[in-house]
Amino acid sequence: MKGSQDTATLNGERAAATAQQAGIVLVGNPNVGKSVLFSKLTGKFVIISNYPGTTVEIARGETRLNGEAVAVIDTPGVNELASRTGDAQVTCDVLRDRPAATIVQVADAKNLRRALLLTLQLAELGRPQMLVLNMMDELDRCGGRIDIRKLSELLGIPVVPTVATAGTGIHLLQKNVAAARKASDFVAHAVVPSGDPGADYDRNVERLKRVNEIMGQCYTLDRPRHPTFAQKLGWWATDPLRGTLLLALALYFMFWFVGLVGAGTFVNFFEEVVFHRHISPWAIRAVDAVLPFPHQHAMEPSEYKLEIPFTPTRGIELMTSTRETLAPKYSLSAGATLSWWQQALRFIHDFLVGEYGAITMAFSYGFAIVLPIVATFFLVFSLLEDSGYLPRLAVMVNRLFRGMGLNGKAVLPMVLGLGCDTMATMTTRILETRKERVITTLLLALAVPCSAQLGVLMAMMARISYPAAAFWVLLMVGVAFAVGWLAARVHPGARSDFIMELPPMRLPQFGNIAIKTLARLEWYLTEVIPLFVLGTAILFFLDRLDLLAKMARVCEPLVKGWLGLPPETANAFLIGFLRRDYGAVYLLNAATGANPTLSAHQVLVAMVTITLFMPCIATMFMISRELGKRTALWITLFIFPFAFFVGGVVHRLQHVLGF
Amino acid sequence: MNKPPHHYHLCPLCGFEFERTETHCADGCPMGKFCNLIRCPNCQYEFPAEPRLLGWVRRLFCREPSKATQREMVGLHELEVGEQGELVCLSCEQHARRNALAVYGLVPGIRLVLQQKRPTFVLRVGETELALESDIAREIFVKRIPHEHAAATAGGVTPA
Repeated sequence: MKGSQDTATLNGERAAATAQQAGIVLVGNPNVGKSVLFSKLTGKFVIISNYPGTTVEIARGETRLNGEAVAVIDTPGVNELASRTGDAQVTCDVLRDRPAATIVQVADAKNLRRALLLTLQLAELGRPQMLVLNMMDELDRCGGRIDIRKLSELLGIPVVPTVATAGTGIHLLQKNVAAARKASDFVAHAVVPSGDPGADYDRNVERLKRVNEIMGQCYTLDRPRHPTFAQKLGWWATDPLRGTLLLALALYFMFWFVGLVGAGTFVNFFEEVVFHRHISPWAIRAVDAVLPFPHQHAMEPSEYKLEIPFTPTRGIELMTSTRETLAPKYSLSAGATLSWWQQALRFIHDFLVGEYGAITMAFSYGFAIVLPIVATFFLVFSLLEDSGYLPRLAVMVNRLFRGMGLNGKAVLPMVLGLGCDTMATMTTRILETRKERVITTLLLALAVPCSAQLGVLMAMMARISYPAAAFWVLLMVGVAFAVGWLAARVHPGARSDFIMELPPMRLPQFGNIAIKTLARLEWYLTEVIPLFVLGTAILFFLDRLDLLAKMARVCEPLVKGWLGLPPETANAFLIGFLRRDYGAVYLLNAATGANPTLSAHQVLVAMVTITLFMPCIATMFMISRELGKRTALWITLFIFPFAFFVGGVVHRLQHVLGF
Repeated sequence: MNKPPHHYHLCPLCGFEFERTETHCADGCPMGKFCNLIRCPNCQYEFPAEPRLLGWVRRLFCREPSKATQREMVGLHELEVGEQGELVCLSCEQHARRNALAVYGLVPGIRLVLQQKRPTFVLRVGETELALESDIAREIFVKRIPHEHAAATAGGVTPA
């Protein structure tokens, strides 16, 4: 690292000339709007949120400068170049690997002091650079003023004011990239270089002295007397009493929108009206027409109720309708014998629209049940992200998390895990120590159900009593804390200090929320639907080879003896290995379908067991990518027996609990 | 959290009182952890710890240490919510922790406002709101700035 920095210094002049070919690297403190600027420059979408650490991987794109295509790289935010966390390492590596690239530092104009500290560190690399002062509108609102010409003169580099979210100043930025150059000696030689890492602090103190000199000449602040409503809301969110109330309100809203509107109203509509009444019968008729063999499909009733829900049991009913529709179940015409050709047709027919058919089962699960739930969750989650509430949540739970060897920051991946555990596993990179990453990943895989699963579980909850539902919630939280506490003791290493910046509360922008929700949905669907089809195909072939029944018999001691569930539910756990929400949907059918086979108590046991399962095969791959194969193996080996163990214990406690 | 009744060290050179026993010492000292000198976070003067027995005798017969409010320099946790302070020093023994605070601008001479203490400390430095654990807050020493002197420069708007 050091060596390449030195060569970069030597080649500084030449680098400026070739900067346009080498591209530009966006660097800056966390949460200053690098990603917004990146997408404005390149027209490429990247996830943008109002909390530090959204970008954990670099993003590449292209922009046009003076008619020439130039590569742009977006990097995770860093507070300084001596890196401690993984994402700071990523940024340092990007800078090292591209010694000729122009550094475009993005700064939050409100936090000029911190930005200039980084400017000084970048200047010491001796490379062409420029400074973008972003969020000028917010600086204005809080009464700050920056003399940009003076600042540019002192630093010796171009300084461009922008409001990236509104697109203001982007052209000026593009025009000025070519003018990027090495910073003045005044900033580049503020401290004496030293290789001693222990001197980081002292050198930063020296740099900040220089920064204060600069700020004294070009920065004035005339703060308004009264705090804004957003500021007050931010303070309330971290207040012990008002913060708890606000949290309760946020949770209820989330439950109402995702659990009742998403998993209730929308799922009902898509499942009953769209799939059950239209797509499935249409697909069955179409397949029958193309692949004819003598058979008759049964008719089954389809009931649909449209209502606006308030609580799980109450709501305003708007309309109901009942009608008969074509079902996947069929019987062969009396006395018909099938030739080998017809047998083959029947096989394909069953694969597409049979009981375990790709269209009748996989697509209807994937699109009618999972999609509405995931969509509503990501919408709410994007709102929360952009408001700046999540870091304040970290402040509220920091004490609780200490017991699990974590600090409050771990709440960010945990909440994201309620959307998608695979995505959340990747986000654990914002945590500083390996111990924290391992524990958070374990808890995500064990006890945090993703939105698809959560929706299905909520639907199952309708079958059990309120005390049983409360028991399920408390058990999951209790298991998470107990396992976290144990893991914190068993796993070597230390937790990191809780030092976290709270971004300002902002009104979320509609456009960003819509784009972000859609992008996450696309990511989710391209991952989920293939897995659903694969899972259904496995079920189909097992059923065809008569292995499903045999496997159910093999698993009987475990499923029937230990968990006290009907042997057929073994299928659910089997398929739960692939995706636990798919397993849960299977259980849901057994619990609330046309002829339910599970009692209320059995539903509870099934819910507990399937919740503690590994989320999905994709999560497992992500864990082994992030933490290594060994850790992934250990986590998997722990989770499956543990899930069955807890499920069995709950079953044994039936008489004690009374539900 | 609940430390035994305040045991203050009194710097014999500058008279500064401070709480911590594991104060940060110079790097590369061959004594390492066997060194039992205490370093004053205010003037950096190093002196041997007062024997426990002597401390008892002193507290029995001598005047009480002055109240926290009268002392010029206090730990961040002793500041009232909404009060302003000027940072005097960080006593963290770990380089990494001191540096982690420095990159947010927390270096001697900076003005800050304590916004809340519970459930976690939140302070404001310039336009940055920073949440900290109480363990870290205890290692930050500040000089109180009386309200009448607290100009808008340090961040006039604070929660009620």
